[in-house]
Amino acid sequence: MSILTYNGGAIVAMKGDNCVAIASDLRFGVQAQTLALDFEKVFPMGPHLYLGLPGLATDTLTVRDRLKFRLNLYELRESRKIHPKTFSALVSNMLYERRFGPYFVEPVIAGLDPVTFEPYVCNMDLIGCINEPEDFVVAGSCTEQLYGMCEALWEPNLKPDDLFETCSQAIVNAFDRDAVSGWGAIVHIIEKDKITSRKIKTRMD
Amino acid sequence: MTKRVNTTKMAQFGSDAFAAKSFWHNGPAPGASYNFPNMRSSSGEEEMQRSQTPITTGTSVLGLKFDNGVIICADTLGSYGSLARFRDCQRVMKVNNNIAVGVGGDYADFQYLKRVIDQKIMDEHIADDGFALKPKALYTWLTRVMYNRRNKFDPLWNNYVVGGMQEGVPFLGAVDLRGMAYQDRHIATGYGSYIALPLLRDAADKNPNMSLQQAKEIMEKCLEVLYYRDARSFPKYQMAIVTAEGVTVSDVLEVKSNWEVAHMISGF
Amino acid sequence: MAMTEGANRYLPDYSSHPVQHHFSPYSDNGGSIVSIAGDDFVVIGSDTRLSSGFSIHTREQSKLFQVSNSTVLGSTGCWCDTLTLTRLVEARMKMYEHSHNKVMSTPAIAQMLSTMMYYKRFFPYYVSNVLAGLDTEGKGCVFSYDPIGHFSRSDYRAGGSAGALLQPLLDNQIGLKNQEGVTAAPIPLKRAVAILKDVFISAAERDIYTGDGIEIKIITKDGVRTESFGLRKD
Repeated sequence: MSILTYNGGAIVAMKGDNCVAIASDLRFGVQAQTLALDFEKVFPMGPHLYLGLPGLATDTLTVRDRLKFRLNLYELRESRKIHPKTFSALVSNMLYERRFGPYFVEPVIAGLDPVTFEPYVCNMDLIGCINEPEDFVVAGSCTEQLYGMCEALWEPNLKPDDLFETCSQAIVNAFDRDAVSGWGAIVHIIEKDKITSRKIKTRMD
Repeated sequence: MTKRVNTTKMAQFGSDAFAAKSFWHNGPAPGASYNFPNMRSSSGEEEMQRSQTPITTGTSVLGLKFDNGVIICADTLGSYGSLARFRDCQRVMKVNNNIAVGVGGDYADFQYLKRVIDQKIMDEHIADDGFALKPKALYTWLTRVMYNRRNKFDPLWNNYVVGGMQEGVPFLGAVDLRGMAYQDRHIATGYGSYIALPLLRDAADKNPNMSLQQAKEIMEKCLEVLYYRDARSFPKYQMAIVTAEGVTVSDVLEVKSNWEVAHMISGF
Repeated sequence: MAMTEGANRYLPDYSSHPVQHHFSPYSDNGGSIVSIAGDDFVVIGSDTRLSSGFSIHTREQSKLFQVSNSTVLGSTGCWCDTLTLTRLVEARMKMYEHSHNKVMSTPAIAQMLSTMMYYKRFFPYYVSNVLAGLDTEGKGCVFSYDPIGHFSRSDYRAGGSAGALLQPLLDNQIGLKNQEGVTAAPIPLKRAVAILKDVFISAAERDIYTGDGIEIKIITKDGVRTESFGLRKD
């Protein structure tokens, strides 16, 4: 079994009409054994910026803390909020510093531009190769299922409510076909003037 | 064919009076052949060598259906690794009056199977019942032979392209060393699947009902491009044409190539 | 010993470990199957691409095999195993017909297929099978298999190279999983065919082994009808 699927986890982020959604499952486990049902893998990194870190749980926490540290330094030096695109460069750089001994996380970034409020999503591999599509990104231990769901359900210019429904259906149905992710989900909808976070009830087996 | 490694019993004589002396310790025992140094020494047990590696090989085979028949082409080179060793290995074969076969891969395995096919045809002549092997029957039979050999982990290291006329309709099919088989309007094996197949597909899409002449021209173009880009190819080739009138396998023809761009190169 | 080692260094042709082409009896030729059962029909579809690695052998290879008037077997994976297995099934169908003077029912074919797969437990057919048909009561049924003959009956199934992409989508759209305020109703034929086409279009976006086209077989009490539909060819 790959280290990337040792703890399990699923994340998806989608662009909508002046909004973005990012969702993760809540399971923390060691291979087949489930240990916790409140392990969020998506972290706020700014008022309109979220970072998802599926993969090896210990690295999820380490990378989250080290990125927060670098982000604080950036914002102190620049006295302004970071742009999502700049933040992904920051993440990418930090991962590539460990090119030959990587952190086993595959980050997903979702946010709105702090100036133009343009939606932004991206993901990268564990050594920081960035992918910035115009629709959605997926990561974790059930990417195939997520791709199948998103490719069929996603459509352009979804309003926040529809985006929430699409995103939740995509992640819940995807991780129901994966043994090492699921056990509840959390979905964040990021809009210009509000962020809505909802926990989703799912089957717990 | 299961090959038995000739682990010489003779080596057992190594310790007896007839054995070679120390300065000749790797030399052959009386009646035995030379033991190369560091070869796996014979233990007296007989070993089986199963999945072999292709030795003398032929490169791509091309097949194309046209409006009332099929063309199959292959060059005549028998490669020995990177050495262009045998320059007249003909690997396009007339089976009977309505089937032609082109072969790529190990030439020895082809020669073995050619004997089997020839015997089948001879048996049919002897029966003299008016029935002739049809292309689809040979194609299906080949899948069984190849599949049975892969089940023994001792494959015939070949790609077969079967072309022919069945009930007045052109037939074209391919079989590989595992018995994997498919039919299509155009087939290219080996390196040809990267280089010639796109050309064949393009030509067949633009002209779904091509004539013999047009099909010939496309085949010649494919062989020319393969000669330029496939290092294991050769400018001499054969072309089999199957129509309702029968099978013709051409003499060895030559690819007309143009090396004007290669100013500094000569000797081709 | 030192001498022979030295000799070996300069005479690579005489080394005791010849470079061998490793022969693998299996190849992954890709392809996906989706089947959806209704009350009095069943539809089964497969893509028509036959590939290995990054090469496409042909864009027009059907992976559906009609084994009786009310049963179709879809088989993908190692194509040479598919060819062998489906031919064996056809032969066994004829043998059954000749000895019992009737055509085998879909559940009986399902059991037979399982036995035939398990017969090769230690050198398996490397295929993903989905068997679709009408059962003895005329209801649609779908059976799916693992390579060594485990099988289960269901109302819908995705198999093959894009199986993981498509199965959750079918769970959602046909099994109505994770949907609130919907009542399960029998799926109409039209909707089954429409969903089948939609999911293949999605699969062709992300699975390189699925594409070129789909062949759909619609099985009703009147027999088997075939439809085809184009997919992206890249």
